[in-house]
Amino acid sequence: MTFPVRGLLLILPLLVVAALLPFGVSGYILGLLTIAYYFAVFSMAWDLLFGFAGEVNFGPTFLIGLGAYGAGILNNRYGLDIPLCLAAGTALAVIGGLALAVPALKLSGPYFGLVTLVAVLLLQNLIVVFSDLTGGEIGLTVPDVISIDADTNYWIALGFMAVSGLILTALARSPAGLILQASGQDPVVAGALGFNVAKHKIAAFAVSAAFSGLAGGLIVFYMGTASVGTLIDTGVGVQIIIAAVLGGRRTIVGGALGAVFLIAAGELLRPLGSLSTFVVSAAALAVILFVPTGLLGIASLRRAS
Amino acid sequence: MFDKVGRSLSAALAATLALTVSARAAEPIKIGVIAEAQSVAGASIPQAVQLAADEINAKGGVDGRMIQVVTYDDKSSAADAVRAFQRAVSEDKVQLVIASYISEVVLALMPWSARLKTPLITPGAASNEISVNVHKDYARNKYTFHGYLTSHALAQAVCDSAKDALVGLLNAKSAAIMSEDAAWTRPLDAAFQECLPKAGLKVVEHVRFSPDTGDFTPIYNKIEAAKPDLIVTGIAHVGVQPTVQWQNQKVPIAMTGISGQATSSTFWANTNGGTQGVLFDSVALPDVALTPKTIPFTQTFTKKYGGAPSYAGYMAYDATYYTAEAIKRAGSTEADKLVEALEKTDYTGTVGRITFYGKDDPFTHSIQYGKGLMTSVLGQWQSGKQVAIWPESVATGKIVLPPAVKPAVQ
Amino acid sequence: MIALQILVDGFAISALYALGAMGFTLIFGVSGVLNLSHGALMVTAAVAAWAASAEYGFGSYAGAGIGVACGLVGALATYFAVVAPIERSRAIPRAEKEIFILTGTLLWGIMIQQLVAYFYTDNPKTVLPLIEGVVEFAGVRTPRNEWFTALVCWVVIALLWLFVNRARAGKVLLAASMNPRGVTLLGHDMGRIYVAVWAIYGLLAGIAGVLLGMFLGVSSYSVGPLTASAFSIVVLGGLGSVTGSLIAAYVVGYLETTTAYLISPAYRVIPALLLLVAVMYLRPQGFLGRR
Repeated sequence: MTFPVRGLLLILPLLVVAALLPFGVSGYILGLLTIAYYFAVFSMAWDLLFGFAGEVNFGPTFLIGLGAYGAGILNNRYGLDIPLCLAAGTALAVIGGLALAVPALKLSGPYFGLVTLVAVLLLQNLIVVFSDLTGGEIGLTVPDVISIDADTNYWIALGFMAVSGLILTALARSPAGLILQASGQDPVVAGALGFNVAKHKIAAFAVSAAFSGLAGGLIVFYMGTASVGTLIDTGVGVQIIIAAVLGGRRTIVGGALGAVFLIAAGELLRPLGSLSTFVVSAAALAVILFVPTGLLGIASLRRAS
Repeated sequence: MFDKVGRSLSAALAATLALTVSARAAEPIKIGVIAEAQSVAGASIPQAVQLAADEINAKGGVDGRMIQVVTYDDKSSAADAVRAFQRAVSEDKVQLVIASYISEVVLALMPWSARLKTPLITPGAASNEISVNVHKDYARNKYTFHGYLTSHALAQAVCDSAKDALVGLLNAKSAAIMSEDAAWTRPLDAAFQECLPKAGLKVVEHVRFSPDTGDFTPIYNKIEAAKPDLIVTGIAHVGVQPTVQWQNQKVPIAMTGISGQATSSTFWANTNGGTQGVLFDSVALPDVALTPKTIPFTQTFTKKYGGAPSYAGYMAYDATYYTAEAIKRAGSTEADKLVEALEKTDYTGTVGRITFYGKDDPFTHSIQYGKGLMTSVLGQWQSGKQVAIWPESVATGKIVLPPAVKPAVQ
Repeated sequence: MIALQILVDGFAISALYALGAMGFTLIFGVSGVLNLSHGALMVTAAVAAWAASAEYGFGSYAGAGIGVACGLVGALATYFAVVAPIERSRAIPRAEKEIFILTGTLLWGIMIQQLVAYFYTDNPKTVLPLIEGVVEFAGVRTPRNEWFTALVCWVVIALLWLFVNRARAGKVLLAASMNPRGVTLLGHDMGRIYVAVWAIYGLLAGIAGVLLGMFLGVSSYSVGPLTASAFSIVVLGGLGSVTGSLIAAYVVGYLETTTAYLISPAYRVIPALLLLVAVMYLRPQGFLGRR
């Protein structure tokens, strides 16, 4: 497993700068970036599934929601410790991921996409119907938080994003990852070459689910609340997908870039008020139309020229 | 010569002192407002706060300090609201935040109000959870004030108004509860189940429907089959559709209760008049003099902003005033002192007399409901206008029967 | 008389679902595009009709007409601004065109949704119904507007069927959905065919949107659920099969209505979702889909 040195040279300084930010920057910007980093993990996990396994997943928030609510409910109802809640939430997300993997093996393209969409709608409806347990559409408040300090929360998010990115990229470039990529692009040939396509796809779902679920749980213990509108709504899923495609699909790291870019852009456009979502969507559409390889694509274009 | 130096020195000293004192006195009070600019209910909040601030400033501010309002649009998103709160406190250094009418948003802000020790007042969200959370963990959550009536209190208002104004007229003995199946209606419905029988209305049917419902025919048919004399609603996410369909299907049962959208002055246009005869609870209505302050506020607001304020607008206007009073009482904007002062609020605003429940009450920091305090108003849509029916002391008209409802046989 | 009630109520709502879904599947069948801005187009038509009749005082008939016209314009705009550029783009590999069109139309839908909310707020609106009053029939009371909706839907569906099966241009469209290359060999310009299909789709979505606005009302929040609903029905019926969508729309419509009446209005959407999951696991090509 080789790591492109150039890539590291680009990313390491960015990470160092990011780590030093709390010393100069306000709590508000730190808070913004904290959320952006968790979203980065959502997008990277999504990219693993789509970029490599070729599975169009319209419902990344299904896995995130399972992780978030799993952890949140245990803490809210039974007062269990945060690490235990996180572990349980992640486990729940993995189970959900495996449940999604089963139809994925039989279905392709839009059909599978629909299953993921339906999964999100089902989860949403279940949460609203069982509002005694979940707090319904008002949301769930968790009594414990990871930390009150903005700097600590920021570093935890940054660290988590860096480690997740590392693991996901390593997986993607490993022999298993390459097999996954082959299975995604041409499953028949991959199968003919003797690779167990099914096993690799299931593994991809489990890994994507684990990271999504864990990130979901961590966000809940940072925000102090979980709700359908912030974590499960299809709008959130759309943001994650856009971030990954915008950053550059099949790159993993692109997902992180896209997520940070989207949140930063949303902030810069704040003066526009309600039109900011419109402008960000329009910009994303423009990137998709004119530079389909995404932001990383733009970067590599520049490097090439 | 020393005398002159002495005198000029003391003059200089006096000048410096005066400058410092006036500089500190001139330090503005910053109030952050987080609201939903695109929604009819939410748009009134920053407008009302600004109006109140301008009025207070025109009279000299709070002990010479001017109020500065900083507004943020949360686009009905809890995540955006949290971000706005973080910005308001760490960048814009506000001393208090007035936020939102959406329970989900307020609940998401509460942990941050606690973490960043900044008082938070909501002028419109109704969830019991807000004040229940303050009660459960007072030390942490005491910075949050529920500047509106809880679901529990709202249900009480509906029952009291039904008992006083509707039971006799309609010869009503039974009621059907119709609510959207959502977390905010659970305590509301539970409260309805308790207080409606006490008002003389037996609950014969209780329908909870999915908030995505577009087709209300099955629901109205189910309710009609139980033959209630009154429909009591708990709806906010939907409003136009059930009302229009109630009218179109000529359901022969009067409708009252909590209908968030019906309180908006644009509801008549949105339903194309379908809301004729609908009864609804609201904290205040234009042209209804709940207190001497109500109508002047409504008129000034309408003139300045081109439309009547939403229910959250009334509450936000009053919130700005009682906050100013609390700051004066506390002599400071320091969070803990401000909280203590806010708890002692006894302010007659546009909606009634505002006081808060205390630490030992189950709904800590929410507004006290009751006669002589704050009761809200039962209104009815009549020919394009919102007419107040109850309490009798502020009624601006008589109740009319909805077109499809036959007069009761007395 | 619950059975009759369910029969009548389910009929109109299913017809409405059907109209929306058929346009959606037509586009997929002929051009392979899953237009995720479908809900946005319907809402645009409805809001345009509402704005024209209520805000600008054009009256209900003109308003409805304007609404449908906006649906048409919206659909064509979607094609020319988003779909056609992606299809033509050389930078996007063939295998990825689908995900790009999905993401592109999704973004486009969000843009439209935001514009609607910006200009007209996210408050729900109902369009002034063309027909008022109720009809009493065997103890079942239904608004005339509901019958009107069902009637219009079926007239349009019948016209569509006639067009596809009898009219020359329609037959070309049908052929194009089965074998685009064959059609090109016969000398037809696929470009013109695509524009024609999108125009028809725009009309269908426009009419469905206006009727929805009259019957149930819409808001900018309806965009997502409308797209999801059409998507589900179309997949259930079989992607590309217009008849399949019609059948699936009725299955879903009646399933929802029956649930609302017999089980609880709170669980209205759940059986339909569960059916969808079951079909995905057991018969992914839907009722009448071609694999």
